[in-house]
Amino acid sequence: MTSARGGSRLWLWVVSSAVILLVSCVLGLMIGPAGPQWWRIPLELLDRIPFVNIDSGIAARDWTIVWQIRAPRVVLAAIVGATLSLSGASFQGVFRNPLVDPYLLGVAAGAGLGATLVFALGGSRPTDWLIDPLPLVSFGGGMAAVFFTYMVGTSFGKTRSNISLVLAGVAVTSLATAIQTFVLQRNNDVVRQVYAWILGRLSSATWGDVRLVLPYVVVSTVVLLMHRRLLDVLRVGDDEALALGTNIRRVRLIVVLAATLGTASVVAVSGLIGFVGIIVPHAVRLIVGASYRKVLPLSVLLGGAFLVLVDIPSRVLSDPAEIPIGVVTAFFGAPFFLLLLRTRETSS
Amino acid sequence: MRSVLAHRWLAVDEYSNYPQEAVDLGTKLSGYEPNIEAISGYTPDLVIASYDPGSLVQQLGELGVPVYLADAVTTIDAAYEQIENIGLLTGHAQEATDLTAQMKAQIDEAVAGVTLPAEPLSYYHELDNTLYSVTSNTFIGSVYSLFGLRNIADNVEAGNDYPQLSAEVIVSADPDLIFLADTKCCGESKATVSARDGWGSLKAVANGNIVELDDDIPSRWGPRIVDFVIAIRDAIAALLVNS
Amino acid sequence: MTVLGFCELRVTYGDHVAVESYNDILHSGEWVCVIGPNGAGKSSVLRAAAGLIDYTGSVAVDQKEIPATSARWRAQHIAFVPQSPLIPHDMTVEEYVLLGRNPYIPYFGVESASDREIVVDVLHSLDLEGFERRKLATLSGGEIQRLVIARALAQQAPVLLLDEPTSALDIGHQQHALELVDRLRRERGLTVVSAMHDLTLAGMYADRLILMHQVVAWRKEARPKC
Repeated sequence: MTSARGGSRLWLWVVSSAVILLVSCVLGLMIGPAGPQWWRIPLELLDRIPFVNIDSGIAARDWTIVWQIRAPRVVLAAIVGATLSLSGASFQGVFRNPLVDPYLLGVAAGAGLGATLVFALGGSRPTDWLIDPLPLVSFGGGMAAVFFTYMVGTSFGKTRSNISLVLAGVAVTSLATAIQTFVLQRNNDVVRQVYAWILGRLSSATWGDVRLVLPYVVVSTVVLLMHRRLLDVLRVGDDEALALGTNIRRVRLIVVLAATLGTASVVAVSGLIGFVGIIVPHAVRLIVGASYRKVLPLSVLLGGAFLVLVDIPSRVLSDPAEIPIGVVTAFFGAPFFLLLLRTRETSS
Repeated sequence: MRSVLAHRWLAVDEYSNYPQEAVDLGTKLSGYEPNIEAISGYTPDLVIASYDPGSLVQQLGELGVPVYLADAVTTIDAAYEQIENIGLLTGHAQEATDLTAQMKAQIDEAVAGVTLPAEPLSYYHELDNTLYSVTSNTFIGSVYSLFGLRNIADNVEAGNDYPQLSAEVIVSADPDLIFLADTKCCGESKATVSARDGWGSLKAVANGNIVELDDDIPSRWGPRIVDFVIAIRDAIAALLVNS
Repeated sequence: MTVLGFCELRVTYGDHVAVESYNDILHSGEWVCVIGPNGAGKSSVLRAAAGLIDYTGSVAVDQKEIPATSARWRAQHIAFVPQSPLIPHDMTVEEYVLLGRNPYIPYFGVESASDREIVVDVLHSLDLEGFERRKLATLSGGEIQRLVIARALAQQAPVLLLDEPTSALDIGHQQHALELVDRLRRERGLTVVSAMHDLTLAGMYADRLILMHQVVAWRKEARPKC
């Protein structure tokens, strides 16, 4: 039963990745520039399990630091990492292009432009609105950016070139950034507000941020994971996938919508964190192969673990100051991307 | 950046929003990327800039327009000096000297107005809601130092005088006073700070020692420094009364 | 019973005409070979029937016009073997042939045990047993070509379109693959249209030959009316 073996092997990977994620989160909770001694924290966590009684010796105010400040940050990092990795893998599948990620496609820049317009044109946003327009408009901006990138990137003849899509993303990102700069110059009273939003606030994450993104991220994750088999069908190309009975336009539209929704919503709370969507899915491919049935679920788990781990140096290396997490991911991600570009060039 | 002719302001850049007369000029010259042509179009006798973003001084110099560079200061004394220099250049030397003397007197009075406790009080100055702050090496920090306050951001590595702090560092430092210089930019207030996860237990929150500042006042080294100093004095006085 | 009908099929790419006034009627169990030099329009006839390109005129499977059908319905009724398939190198043989079951798997579903059994059967019938877990990168050109045919057979569609199906196979495997298609045609009434350049092979299996020359079809018998 080869098939059953393949299935159980996937479960083995899923379970071990979930364990890695869990261990990363516990590590993330243990390490920080303030708070109780690190070794007491797992004891306290065990103590919180019903019927387990361990005296961790942590004072209430120290526990506040761990639970109210560090924990939401760890959870948010896991959510952001998982979403960016899953969106990256999905974009790579749907465009059949290993070089794209939500940032290279211009999603983040488009979402940033959308947010800028809300701040600049919306004046003082009423805080008692039923739905905050900010995530919705930045989602719209992200969608528009992907749309333009795709239109431009695929307009160079029938044969879609991997590089042309990346270049189109660069162009769309520049255009969105230019429009944003123009709008900001005319509305300089909102500059700091906009930049604080774009640069993210993972460092000051709250449980409120977690609650804000969770609904969007859950929808995006469920929809994308349900497309894992269809993304494998797309691997044989548009013509063959169509001949095999796949409505490629619908699949592409839904996957792009879901991946953009996920990206735009995490951008709203974490700011610009590049390369996660490229590093994690490719590392997963190296381990388990390119089947999206494995790549998507494992990218969720390991992407979450990755960002939780990367966030640790970003908060302790220059204690008590912060190193922006985007700087840390770019430090690892940019060389990885160049390596990838190089291997693709030589193999094709 | 301000351009003056004898006693008359001709133009200001887009960020110069005080006093109201500056805003009323309605001249939105670019502050970050000054356009030399636009500035010289006003044919000013003097241009005052807080920094040279490129070749402003050189290019205006070639056009025969002198520029006074009022660089960002790190001490109040340097601010006095700039005010007096500008007075001299604009033909208001006496008024400028009177102004700085008055500022000194008001600040001295404010500082003398509180009896500081033996144990120095600690403070956290918030620049924006992503928890950027300042160290004592900055101008803002030097003003707090007048009162002998201890800055919780001071142990960052040298050279990083505008550090982004970890929330857990702030909470564990538990400052006596919190000053918000992000009420305009980011809409922060006593209420929003108190509502932050994990901040409820802070001394400053529990005792109400959170000061809502106008974002512009601490970061601009003009005559309104006095307002900043008085705000700090009032905050300390309120803290001491309650304790 | 008419399974596949072409009526005044015309295919153009911009200003270039690829196929002009193509008529044909295929019955269940019939094998028609379209022969002719490269660029004569053979592939365009097959691709129009597979629903991959726009055309004018009419192409109908089971009396249904191709553009009016869903991709899923088409894939259940027409299996298409492209001339140069895109091969994802690190896919396994089993994963690849399972793609042929795609039209039967619900949008959000996964393959069933019976889908897997069909894959096992198809691999067995094409001498690809034991290859299940091999990566496509490790297969020879001939093995790949049989694999693509295996994927098409896994679709269990009544119409099979083969675009140059044997160009990379050695003589033995050519015979074997075509024998299998021929047997399915006899046993299950499979209707086959193949584009081929090897006249000997075409003559061995086809009931009828159609020669495409400069976008126009020529044949021995009378041009069918529609």
